[in-house]
Amino acid sequence: MLDQARAITAGPARQVHDFKSGNEAAALAARDIGFHVMGYFPITPSTEVAETLSKMQADGEHDIVMIPADGEHGAAGICYGAALGGGRVLNATSSQGLLYALEQLPVQSGTRVPMVLNISTRTVSGPLDIRCDHSDIYFVLNAGWVILMARDPQAAYDLNFCAIRIGEHMDVRLPVIVAYDGFLTSHQKRRIDRFDDPEAVKAFLGEREDPYTALDPEHPVTFGPYMNDPDLINNKVQQHEAMEAARRVIPEVFAEFAELSGRDYRTVDAYHMDDAEVALVLLNSAAENAKEVADRFRDEGKKVGVVSPNVLRPFPTDEIRRLLKNVRAVVVGDRGDSYGAEGGNLSLEVRAALQQDPDNKTLVMSRVYGLGGKDFYDADAEEFFREALTAAETGKVEVPFEYHGAYAGDDAAGPPPGLPPITKEEVSRGMATVTPNPETNKLEVELKPLWEMTTTPSRVAPGHGACPGCGFFPMLRQAYNVLEGHVVVLFQTGCAMVTTTGYPKTAHRITYIHNLFQNGAATMSGLVEMYHERVRRGEIPAAPEGEDITFIMVTGDGGMDIGMGAALGTANRNHKMIILEYDNQGYMNTGSQLSYSTPFGHRTSTSEVGATLSGKRFHHKDTPQIFAACNLPYVFTASEGYAEDFMRKMSKAQWYAQREGMVYGKVYSFCPLNWRTEDNAAQEVLQAAIDCCFFPLYEVEQGSTHITYDPDAIGRRRPVADWLGMMGKTKHILAPEHADQLEMTEQEIDKRWRKLKVKSEHPEL
Amino acid sequence: MTRDSSERSGADFFEIRFESIGGLGAHVAGKIVAGAAVLRMNMNGAHFSSYGSEKKGSVVRSFIRLAPADRSIRTSAPIEEPDVIVVFHSGLLAHPATLSGLKAGGTLIFAGQEGDIPEGLQRTPKSAKVIRVDAQKIAFEEKSRENAVLIGALAEAVPELDRDAVLQALEATFAGKSAAVVASNDRAFNRGADEAEIIEDVGQVDGDVPTMQSHPAWGYMSAPLGGVLPTPGNTAHNDLHTSRTGWMPVLDRDKCIDCGMCDMVCPDLCLVWSTHVDADGKPGVMLDGVDYQYCKGCMRCVETCSTGAMTREAEIPGMADDLRVPLFPDLAVTAGGKHA
Repeated sequence: MLDQARAITAGPARQVHDFKSGNEAAALAARDIGFHVMGYFPITPSTEVAETLSKMQADGEHDIVMIPADGEHGAAGICYGAALGGGRVLNATSSQGLLYALEQLPVQSGTRVPMVLNISTRTVSGPLDIRCDHSDIYFVLNAGWVILMARDPQAAYDLNFCAIRIGEHMDVRLPVIVAYDGFLTSHQKRRIDRFDDPEAVKAFLGEREDPYTALDPEHPVTFGPYMNDPDLINNKVQQHEAMEAARRVIPEVFAEFAELSGRDYRTVDAYHMDDAEVALVLLNSAAENAKEVADRFRDEGKKVGVVSPNVLRPFPTDEIRRLLKNVRAVVVGDRGDSYGAEGGNLSLEVRAALQQDPDNKTLVMSRVYGLGGKDFYDADAEEFFREALTAAETGKVEVPFEYHGAYAGDDAAGPPPGLPPITKEEVSRGMATVTPNPETNKLEVELKPLWEMTTTPSRVAPGHGACPGCGFFPMLRQAYNVLEGHVVVLFQTGCAMVTTTGYPKTAHRITYIHNLFQNGAATMSGLVEMYHERVRRGEIPAAPEGEDITFIMVTGDGGMDIGMGAALGTANRNHKMIILEYDNQGYMNTGSQLSYSTPFGHRTSTSEVGATLSGKRFHHKDTPQIFAACNLPYVFTASEGYAEDFMRKMSKAQWYAQREGMVYGKVYSFCPLNWRTEDNAAQEVLQAAIDCCFFPLYEVEQGSTHITYDPDAIGRRRPVADWLGMMGKTKHILAPEHADQLEMTEQEIDKRWRKLKVKSEHPEL
Repeated sequence: MTRDSSERSGADFFEIRFESIGGLGAHVAGKIVAGAAVLRMNMNGAHFSSYGSEKKGSVVRSFIRLAPADRSIRTSAPIEEPDVIVVFHSGLLAHPATLSGLKAGGTLIFAGQEGDIPEGLQRTPKSAKVIRVDAQKIAFEEKSRENAVLIGALAEAVPELDRDAVLQALEATFAGKSAAVVASNDRAFNRGADEAEIIEDVGQVDGDVPTMQSHPAWGYMSAPLGGVLPTPGNTAHNDLHTSRTGWMPVLDRDKCIDCGMCDMVCPDLCLVWSTHVDADGKPGVMLDGVDYQYCKGCMRCVETCSTGAMTREAEIPGMADDLRVPLFPDLAVTAGGKHA
């Protein structure tokens, strides 16, 4: 039996077999389309699109301008701006990234600016889960974008070409989403056919034409005027009409694409539906699984079929109604709930479509399934078919709506118990003594010897899932050695969060909160103020001076990109808390993409190295100086390789956060996996980075800069090349052909170091 | 293609499952084998892995689903009843889930040292072919990786795969690398194919290995609302010994001066200290040893030790259990997989 989605006859364009995942297929399509600009921010599971394009770019396979944004909101802005300029624009995202970009989406559709957004679908937080469902895509149903659903890697490739034609059509002029299932499709490699025929592809795509662009100064136009009630509704009628035009244009484009490729997409994929008496309606990969099961029911003589929209916006109401006209019972599966609506969005829309036919008698059951990546096995499809068959036989629906595959639990079971809580006394052992010096207006710290600290109970338990050699945990251990009393931590999304809190276990022996990394600092500031207010109201006992709860927001350097706005807002408000950044120079939690703290020239999965690209193209962000400019009481840098220096600074941080306001600390932290070193190379690599002045150890206390380790002064200054030669991610910079890159790195490091020394020497800086 | 409705799911697929630990290269190995089948053996195929975030040391499964060229592959569900299982670390055989669903007459290939016959092998079908290959030793000797050795053993053991095609696919992943790198991986592959040994009479299971049904610890009636975990520090129950890949740090008490440096750099928080009072009445601390239940073998303690008291030693089976000093003696978990 032929899959009706796609005929196997080849079209006139030359094609080749390949073996690619959905993300790779989307990246190949992007290369073959030749977008002008991609604005993106990494988020699992869509990240691989940008990674694959970065690798291709390093090898000279395309010349798309790849712009790593500061977050998905920024990425959406980059894409909007680029698309206003009249070229072809691409983005890829998932889940929370889509939601963070969400407010930009109606702006783009309402002002009628086409582009293509690939969505590797993933459930939305919280709690955070990186796997597939459709709760993210359900949030954009009202965004005014055309939404194409790609059920496998082949469709992810094909529908990107169609998206260009549909969105740019003069009757449509809308941005287009191509959505495929996270992991199930994004990371599953399949045999695909891809074009090997640039001329044929070019002829199919044509040139983008825009009625107006922002890059035509001879024809000035105003984009995005202020528009109120007499007019806005009319703009929305135009948008509605664009969607209606898309209903007509989409089948035309699909037909042309079928001629080109031999792959024939329909608005709705219908499998065994000609005479089906019962059916499942499912989106994307689950529908493909259900087809396997449908074949087996057919072998038993059961007339079952599978319906799966290839287009979600505009919703194919007529086709759904026609396909289900003679179907007696249908189970609509939703990989996402519309809480309180007694059905996910697909169910509700199928029900609405059928309701328009007064003669329709189809019994409809709604099932929420496969949330957060829960796999959809043959047995699940079988159960849906059986439920539909029973309803068809009995003529009634016993359970109109329920969750499928959830587990009630067993009272006798449960995760292993926690360790006993750590008492305040156990961790108030005076490992650091902090004394204000009224003459200097600075703090002085005396540390106990390291051996004495070894028996301090750790506020973080072993058994966490970090990589061997991870630098985060030494950092945390050192910080906890000197912190006195009660501590509450908030970890922003990142390695440290993921590796310490895999449900139903937690490594944290103290109260811990996660929030998404756009917002951790703001969240912690809210908690800090609630604490002080509840103390003021007498609801929580007041602590003696210096013994309040210490609040620490822990973030990676990535969180200080996307979360910079919230962190600076928090700094400017000067809440009594600490922001502690572990800087491992990349988005290591998601597979080592570049962060703004990644140094110039370093290789990451979005700053690859090849014949035409050589690592990251801009210098590392000077985050401590940004916070110093907020006039905080205390800002410091440290390294987990200099435990005593860091612990001194951390004890000062606690003193200031108890009494004066916000502290920011950046701690250079080892990542053997993505720095490409041995697991035990921390000491030498960290030391070299400090001795070459790439990562100066200093503090800005009450506005005054003090270098706490000066390699010049003690004759330990080393060439930058010593450091770069130690890591797989930087070795290429030492090759003769990258001499200019090495020189630029040296110059930048030297410039920043000299500036810092001037500040350190000047009493007012 | 006709289908017999009495056949179970996937009966017309040939399915391989890799059971591994992050960092051993199972995902890449799966990609190479499936890619060879699709692009060099004119088969249809799919490949995917199950993994969480990108961490070394956690359990990884990789799945290869193969079919004749004209058979469409539509399902994306994980492979539950594989024809072949390849186990990248023999420690994983302690977990029953590792062999879940292995078909009668199927093939099990595992990485293990000469003479190593883990107890878990009893969970294979009597009719299965059980193959051991010392992937770690061969990889070390040939300056390659375990995954190259194991796919060599796989390509040789399974008639559905063309050994030459898989080798070519392996070589293609090293395109642009030096001839020496290609040659060392070729040798690792070929030694895996040629030195793998069949282990007779270990399986005890009649028919197929049943598929494991597991439930989460909590369900919606029992879990605290909102995903809250009122169980501070319960990762202490985790056993991470399989994160080590053949090496472990060992303490020589005679050389240790209890300076505390190693405690500052240990990412796994697994060094065990005790307090005492010296003969002259001064309080002191002593490093008692390592809790190997948590040690992932990074050797940062060895690197930082100024007296040579911590050394890197090859881990032989049972050694971690013998030398382990438990950090939380009251927890009902032991190191080294004894509790399986």
